[in-house]
Amino acid sequence: MSAGADDRRRQNLLKIASAAVFLAVIAVAVLIVVSASENDGGDAESIEGAGEVNRRLGGIPQDGMVLGDPSARVKLVEFGDLKCPVCASYAEEVIPAVIDSQVRTGRARIEFRNYTIIDEQSGPAGAAAIAAGEQGRGWNFVEIFYRNQGNEAAAYVTDEFLTAVADAAGVKDIARWQRDRQSPKATDAVASSTAAAEELGFTGTPSFAVEGPATDGLEPFEAYESPVEQLEEAIAGAK
Amino acid sequence: MVATFLAALGVGVATYIAIADSGGSAPACIGGSGGCQTVAESSYSHVLGVNIAIFGAIAYLLLLAAAWGRGDLARMGGFIVALGGFGYSVYLTYLELWVIDAICQWCVASAILMTLLFAVNAVRMVRYVGEPA
Repeated sequence: MSAGADDRRRQNLLKIASAAVFLAVIAVAVLIVVSASENDGGDAESIEGAGEVNRRLGGIPQDGMVLGDPSARVKLVEFGDLKCPVCASYAEEVIPAVIDSQVRTGRARIEFRNYTIIDEQSGPAGAAAIAAGEQGRGWNFVEIFYRNQGNEAAAYVTDEFLTAVADAAGVKDIARWQRDRQSPKATDAVASSTAAAEELGFTGTPSFAVEGPATDGLEPFEAYESPVEQLEEAIAGAK
Repeated sequence: MVATFLAALGVGVATYIAIADSGGSAPACIGGSGGCQTVAESSYSHVLGVNIAIFGAIAYLLLLAAAWGRGDLARMGGFIVALGGFGYSVYLTYLELWVIDAICQWCVASAILMTLLFAVNAVRMVRYVGEPA
């Protein structure tokens, strides 16, 4: 190759490399700026989805954090963290189908237990749900919280946000709920269910276990690949 | 030789993270830290429903191929893939430190490998540009 052609080749390669570096710097800067300016969610001023959640759960008995006919022989237990985005996806895309096919029909009841893994706000959020459960609105609280969940890294779980969720969930006695959510009973329940989840060998949320006549106590199972079918199969297998 | 070794290590790290995710769990953090689980649970661990470790494994495989290849395409391709991987690693490290607020040791390992691969591929490309064709 001639000296001139070699120079051109060298200049072209350097131009491509320089352009690539420039574009990479711009792309990273844009990603970081967009990420930093994303809405943190968890807006107490605009709680959404309460109507749909309350309609869906309407008419189904609730006792504490258990949803469904108390005489149902099979109990499905969801171990979740209210700040976990995957749990929120399940709440919108998986759990409603299971409630319709299994809980509303009396085949099973479903219990929400806290397994707090995200951060220090997960505990107070879980205790607030338990306090709502004391007034028969635990599942409404959990489902509405998930539909208004903020960025998992944001500190959006404020007293104001929790109160707005409780109000939207239909908790009647907010003053009692405020006391209950800070009581040792609620905070201890969050800690003990988290410890129980770890004893069952869970490492993430949501995790599921089932209990029924055909099981030896609470039996964990996986529901990641086709969760609705796997949850329904586990319930059928526990009868 | 160095690029081949680093890319092969990267394939191993990314494949381990992807396999752990496909099993529905998180990669195991050394020392019992919960950072890996927190990062794996975060919304940033998947893009369009695909675990980013799979994209990482593909990038490392391309870097492995580039390390074996010769000519403009291999050298410039290796440089651009390593640059992209390095840039994305910078973004992911920012997310871990300031958004997710958790450190995953496997992600740190991958970021270090990608940084080294970027350096190696940059040196390789700059030297090549200086060579007579």
